[in-house]
Amino acid sequence: MAFRKRNVGIAQPGSSPSSIEITEKKSIPGVRPSPLDGRPTTSTGTHSLDNLLAGHAGLVLGTSLLIEESGTTDFGGALLRYYAAEGILQGHQIHVFGMNEAWGRELPGLGSAESSRSAKKETAADDKMKIAWRYERLGEFGVGARDRTVAPPSATSSGSAGTFCHDFDLSKRLTLPSTTQMQFVPIITRPNLEFATLDSNKSPFNTFINHIANYLSNSSSNTIHRVIIPTILSPALYPPHASRPEIVLQFFHALRGLLRKYPTQLTVITTLPLTLYPRSSGLTRWMELLSDGVLELSPFPSTSVATKSAPGVTTVQEEPPQGMLNVHRLPIFHERGGGGGEASGFGNDLAFTLSRRKGLVIRPFSLPPVEGDSEAQQGGLESDHGKATKVDIEF
Amino acid sequence: MASRIPPLLEPYLSLPPETSLILLTSVLGASTNWLVLRFLHSILAPSEGNPDDDTKVVFVSFMRDLVFWKENGRRIGLDLDKLAARKKFAFVDGLSGLFLPKQAADSRVAPPQTILKSPELQNVASQILGGISQIKAAASGKVLLVLDQLDLLLATAGDKSDVVALGEMLLELRESVHATVMTVSADYPLVSEQRTSLESNHAEFLMGIAHQADSIMSLRLLDTGTARDVSGVIRVTQGSHAVSESDGSSKRTEEKEVLYFVGGDGGVKVFERGQ
Repeated sequence: MAFRKRNVGIAQPGSSPSSIEITEKKSIPGVRPSPLDGRPTTSTGTHSLDNLLAGHAGLVLGTSLLIEESGTTDFGGALLRYYAAEGILQGHQIHVFGMNEAWGRELPGLGSAESSRSAKKETAADDKMKIAWRYERLGEFGVGARDRTVAPPSATSSGSAGTFCHDFDLSKRLTLPSTTQMQFVPIITRPNLEFATLDSNKSPFNTFINHIANYLSNSSSNTIHRVIIPTILSPALYPPHASRPEIVLQFFHALRGLLRKYPTQLTVITTLPLTLYPRSSGLTRWMELLSDGVLELSPFPSTSVATKSAPGVTTVQEEPPQGMLNVHRLPIFHERGGGGGEASGFGNDLAFTLSRRKGLVIRPFSLPPVEGDSEAQQGGLESDHGKATKVDIEF
Repeated sequence: MASRIPPLLEPYLSLPPETSLILLTSVLGASTNWLVLRFLHSILAPSEGNPDDDTKVVFVSFMRDLVFWKENGRRIGLDLDKLAARKKFAFVDGLSGLFLPKQAADSRVAPPQTILKSPELQNVASQILGGISQIKAAASGKVLLVLDQLDLLLATAGDKSDVVALGEMLLELRESVHATVMTVSADYPLVSEQRTSLESNHAEFLMGIAHQADSIMSLRLLDTGTARDVSGVIRVTQGSHAVSESDGSSKRTEEKEVLYFVGGDGGVKVFERGQ
């Protein structure tokens, strides 16, 4: 009897709620419990972004991310496409605001490496220690954003769980299985009659909020919804009055209300052009306060990238970073007060690189060794007592 | 045990004297949620063992729902459901129904909470007053009003926002309760430049409250960057009224600046610099 009891205890280490979650959520593809507290999480479609989110190893359902980007690049848009493509592959319902079907045709397709690598993994797995088999599919938990070569969780490692985050190839295109899985809600800038004047008191966001609320209330509790709002408030898409605080902040507040109302079904990612709405403005700050997670992408000017990848440096396998990533707020983590999440990259210098096969990779920023540095070092050694040192110092 | 009230903050988290206003300010990344929960705990928890203590709390939250507060309250041993059943705690929800379409907001309204349906100040005031009078009717006792991020009303009202009217509403609410605790965002962009009406309104509101407040606890991130074992800085300052009153209440208004760290398990450590 005592022997049996102990056996049960071993089968469910840690907190019991998390193991309950596992059995419950197994039926929903693309959702797994957080290793921290067992909340259901889903993947953003980008491995290193999943690992950044305060140790939850995924975007916790019922939370939102605001991705801010300065300049004219569209790295945030790439993140959104991965997020959408991941949702398509997992069979989640996707709602895109302000874009048309063409956006959906540009989603990245599955990388070809996916199948071959998982086969390779199977043999590699035999050599591994078997102790933490339960956590293996969580991938690089605790590693943070340091490195992603540890390999993403593969479908083979835990059988029924399925792949949590796929690998995509930007040069391929994902074929949409059905048109109903991806909903495009247009921004209505004009009333039906072209000549009628624009009603500047009507929020362009109302239709979208109604749309999501309708879908959520009518769908079963097993459907996961992903809401995508590309370049919110960009004048190319939105009418001018949309950026009035009452309209856009009410929209963010309503979204937050929906997220809290359906804490196991909904995630939202929004991108915001920072050049138009700088972080020093009160409006942007309120949008940040109303979002659960805030990330800022600051791409480097393209010239600096070109000079770094000069020929001759063959030892550097890593691609030069394309920009810096600042974490201003993380879901759950900062809502509780911040702290205790060593795995998060909060406060670190993070850089990102977007490549065709690996997608967007976030890793700690470090300056590459300067070219011709060895010569300078030699010179420094030779003239240790000489005058050259003085010259070196006085540059 | 670490989850209980940090000893350094204990004198500041007891029930404030009558008619006082306590302001808690937050910035992005340094939220006041843990502090509010500790406030609730220090005020509501003693009453569990002692039936004579009849302090009650009316909690209005504009940014977070009851589920969040319940979940994190449970971590520090605060059972809000039980307190609500004993009419010691009432929740006014300013998130779920404020700007959502009616049909989406209708379903499932749990009894201990009131859901605000319209951002009109009159409606908000009457709903909160309704909550206060309800909890007063249940049993006599002091009522503490906690207003979490009332500044949201100001930000989402746009051109119609009226700082004076909001201040008047606040005075009206304060008249009917023993004391009030408020949390307001004090981010630099919201109060410094004041180029837009959103910013200037916010600054005006915050300054007005800060001058009325008897004590201010402001949270911010470390000025020198981030650290692994520090979440932020908490600074306690006394309000302009407190200086003139040189009585026994000097203990709670001692000015202080300490560091805090919120652990992964929800426990909070508060310590002096260098400790």
